Amino acid sequence: MSNITINNLASNIRSNKAAVSMTRPLLLTPNQDIRGYLLNHVGRFSLLLITCSTVLAVFLIFYFVIKEAAPFLREFSIAEFLGNANWHPEADDAEFGTLAIIVGSLYITVISILIAVPIGLLAAVFLSDIVSFRIRSITKPIIELLAAIPSVAYGFYAVLVLAPWMQKYFGLSSGTNILNASLMLAVMALPTIVSVAEDALTSAGRELRGASYGLGATRFETISKVVMPAASSGIIVAIILGIMRAIGETMVVWMAAGNANQFPSPWWNITSSVRTMTATIAGDMAETPKGSDHYLSLFALAVVLLLFTFTLNLVSEYFMSRARKKAGH
Amino acid sequence: MRDYIRTVADKSFSIMTITAVVLIILALVGILFPMISKGSKAVFFTETIEFRKMQFAKFGRGSKEEIESQAKESDEYREVVYEKLTSFSRGINSAKLIKSTRSIYRNYGKSLRYQGVEGSEYANLRRNAKRLRDHLCDAFKATDKEIISKKIAEVLDVKYSQMFAGTQIEQYFTIAKEYLEATETIDLSRKDEYTKKLKELRELLHQLLGPNPDEKTPALSMYRYGATRMDMANIALDNFLWIETWVQNGDRKSLMKVRTPRKESFAGTPIETIFDYIPQNLDKMLLPNKTIYWQYFIDDSTPGHYFGGIGPEILGTLLITAISILFAVPLGIICAAYLVECAKDNFIVRIIRISINTLAGVPSIVFGLFGLAFFVIYLFPIIGLESKSCILAASLTLAILTLPVVIRASEEAIRSVPQRYKEASLGLGAGKFSTFMRVTLPTALPGIMTGIILSISRVAGETAPILFTGAVALGPLPESILHPTRTLSYGSYDMAVGDRISQMVPHNQYGMIVSLVLLIMLLNGIAIVLRTRISKKLQQH
Repeated sequence: MSNITINNLASNIRSNKAAVSMTRPLLLTPNQDIRGYLLNHVGRFSLLLITCSTVLAVFLIFYFVIKEAAPFLREFSIAEFLGNANWHPEADDAEFGTLAIIVGSLYITVISILIAVPIGLLAAVFLSDIVSFRIRSITKPIIELLAAIPSVAYGFYAVLVLAPWMQKYFGLSSGTNILNASLMLAVMALPTIVSVAEDALTSAGRELRGASYGLGATRFETISKVVMPAASSGIIVAIILGIMRAIGETMVVWMAAGNANQFPSPWWNITSSVRTMTATIAGDMAETPKGSDHYLSLFALAVVLLLFTFTLNLVSEYFMSRARKKAGH
Repeated sequence: MRDYIRTVADKSFSIMTITAVVLIILALVGILFPMISKGSKAVFFTETIEFRKMQFAKFGRGSKEEIESQAKESDEYREVVYEKLTSFSRGINSAKLIKSTRSIYRNYGKSLRYQGVEGSEYANLRRNAKRLRDHLCDAFKATDKEIISKKIAEVLDVKYSQMFAGTQIEQYFTIAKEYLEATETIDLSRKDEYTKKLKELRELLHQLLGPNPDEKTPALSMYRYGATRMDMANIALDNFLWIETWVQNGDRKSLMKVRTPRKESFAGTPIETIFDYIPQNLDKMLLPNKTIYWQYFIDDSTPGHYFGGIGPEILGTLLITAISILFAVPLGIICAAYLVECAKDNFIVRIIRISINTLAGVPSIVFGLFGLAFFVIYLFPIIGLESKSCILAASLTLAILTLPVVIRASEEAIRSVPQRYKEASLGLGAGKFSTFMRVTLPTALPGIMTGIILSISRVAGETAPILFTGAVALGPLPESILHPTRTLSYGSYDMAVGDRISQMVPHNQYGMIVSLVLLIMLLNGIAIVLRTRISKKLQQH
């Protein structure tokens, strides 16, 4: 009886070869062994090569942007480029001073981060510590929808809805200004900040919270004195990612910041129009002939922008690895 | 007391966190609601007979008989207005009257010669005709009603002599009669003022009802039709009925809007009544009908974005997105597979990881510059393509931009495949490659799909990278992927700040951006649902 079953089973397996394909023989001849070894390594190596295309892409981006910028940087002094505020690239006596443009970029970024970080961190705390899992699983996708809206839609809203509204109710001469752009950038940076900070807060762990609550601390005290310091690296990463999103954003600042090459005056006047690096590149590129000084200067501006984001990237990388180490221990 | 402060601090902190979330959700609603409510009017609106005419002429939609019978019906009501205007303008528009009188005289002279009338008969007829002409012109120029009636009476005297029976000159008598009737009720000292205002009135009426019957068909197709939608008709009607002026408000700088009824400036004239007639009979003149214009998503637009839809833009967006996904997804999955399955923590892998993070952090406008400098200017001439912005360049640029998104999502998905699946497969003797292809990849597929959908939504919405690599605001449909195309994202930008014509059609302006936003939100919604399903499934394991 049992014999028959086993036989049946064996024939079943034999006829049903496709169930599991045996790609590796159980016993290997030396030849097969070497071939398998080589195949494995060749496969691995080709995969590595393909994966290195990401490195190549980054290299090409830096190379081509710097290559186009190099003739400009050789011809004009870098001190003049970064330290002068006069941007008259098409004038007969052309001047390429980007100080006001860089300050404009930084100004808008700082304001938007000042708006976004407190709200973002509070929202992250709300998701990680205040509400139940169910409410969290509803709220989080809603917040993430903000990240889905394309930047041109934010710019569109800023120009056609927010700017007229500001003009009407704040009595401004121009609705496209620092405040408008910063508000939109803050909304755009929020989902990044919320989700990264929330991850950091959650990964601080239950034990820490339990210990704090056990000592009689309130929720506010636990979060501000225990969880926040423990998750500080992750929170810093969240803020840096928010800054990167804001400084590299093009469409919104191009449409909403007013594109006036000037310092805000007085310096705290957030309702004045400014021009940013990204907006300058986007706006001027279409109108310049290829190879002209103006064209090359835009690539030089892109180099400055790349340096900013690359530095921020490295800093965030550092904090990310610190956060990972902390979580590991 | 200290406890009390602690409790208050704790409570207010909780409230602050809730406020933050409420603020974020309010921002979402506050941004989406105005756009969607205005954008939906591109598809859901009340069309007029003008819209049906336009659709028939441009896209051949609707039946000719029906549109013609409707046009006839509406013309009955329009006729009343036009008649009043014409008779009024007869009374005041001296320049035009003089011109037509002179041309009738010239034609008469020509026809006399053509008929072979010669000698003293010819001279006599001509002299008489000329006298009539001069009388009429004097009457048209005069502002004193007595002079007018005297001159016209002299003209009409000639009529009874039957000298000009059956010739062009007979027109003079009708003109004279009509002019006399028209001037009876008009204050002729305000003639020039009326002429100016009447011209304005006709233009406004054109916006509402389309070209006047005596006008020739305008060359620009956007002027060939009146208000195609009831919302535009109501705005046009408002402009027709009210004069808006900005008045300095006292000593303060701010200007104030003052509305006065246009009717007042025509008080006492025969056309005063049309300002009551048009609002009362607007529905009969325009025959409104609620409609769902779903063809908005396939129609081409003309001229600019004035009429029609966003078909080419949607096509362009889909093309660019599809091609860039075609490049990015296989590459991204291979990279992710390597990073999860093969990579050890060594120097090269660390460089790769830093590269991926750097790539994710490069500003989108720099991608645009890179695409221009590398693909368009450097690579294309080398491989024998024309060095100009095109769909292919835009797609490749976007593929690199979205690569980190695909890699990260796929990596996470592949990593989250339970170890024991792989072990079971390896234990059965399957090789590493077939384990990956037959066990790991199918299990990770939903997660990878999520990543793909997210990157599609990213690519579809990006504007800055395609500014210099493949997007145009207006232009023909691309013949191949080596031509630039219109896209939703760049089109929205252009309609918001660049294009003057689109400022006149806010429904199309908002319609395009809402189409883009909804398309992307839909994709994201799918991704979110997919992701929650996966995380539920993984929790069960």
